Amino acid sequence: MFENLDIFRMSSAMASHAGQRQAVVAQNVANADTPGYSAKDLPEFRDSYQLDSTTTSLRASRPGHLHGVRDGEMAMQAVDDQGEASPNGNAVSLETEMLKAAEIKSQHDRALAIYKSALNVLRTTIRK
Amino acid sequence: MSDFSQSRSVSASGLSAQAARLRHLSENISNADTPGYRRKLVSFETAFNAGNEMAKVEVGRVKLDRSDLEQVFDPSHPLADETGHYRGSNVDLLIELADAREAQRSYEANLKMFDQARKMSRGLMDLLQR
Repeated sequence: MFENLDIFRMSSAMASHAGQRQAVVAQNVANADTPGYSAKDLPEFRDSYQLDSTTTSLRASRPGHLHGVRDGEMAMQAVDDQGEASPNGNAVSLETEMLKAAEIKSQHDRALAIYKSALNVLRTTIRK
Repeated sequence: MSDFSQSRSVSASGLSAQAARLRHLSENISNADTPGYRRKLVSFETAFNAGNEMAKVEVGRVKLDRSDLEQVFDPSHPLADETGHYRGSNVDLLIELADAREAQRSYEANLKMFDQARKMSRGLMDLLQR
């Protein structure tokens, strides 16, 4: 219902990016003692606004476009995080993952706060 | 599956793997004085299930430590041979305790991630409330 307003679209894309990154970080933490596992990470949310020229997918730049990727909603690929591996070949650092987790939580909270405040503005306008 | 439920199930797999590791460690510690006991080694593996790219963790095959058993001198022991020695276990308590501490650390990290996914999805649900 609210997807057509840019601010709702952007904040919900931001929240879902935080959710995706949370899943990736949880995966890293669960595999913190698996030999040979290397940590993964998603690119930052702001990078999802810059489609790189190598992708051949269509881009939806207007509301009328039915197909294509919208800014901020592109599917993110998890990339390997480079880090120093321990003797068993595992490259997860729990400290870094905790740091990322805190970052994700604050990003998610921020997105929800923006959504909520925009919702309040909308509600105020339709109330007489 | 949504990201949050995926995140929670991955964290839960980590929790149960660390708990299994801790169980084998306590088996080792409690059998530190059992003659002929070989310590168990737990290894973790990444479990990929089809159609799902999430890398859950699972406990692989438990192996026995093949290193030499400790020779204990006690002529009065029922298992002692003619030189008065019997074979004890190859458990080193110091290693087991250090491993247990590491398992605890990883368990807490997994618990924290589980809790955070729960909090985030609750924040999402709070949007529905006034």
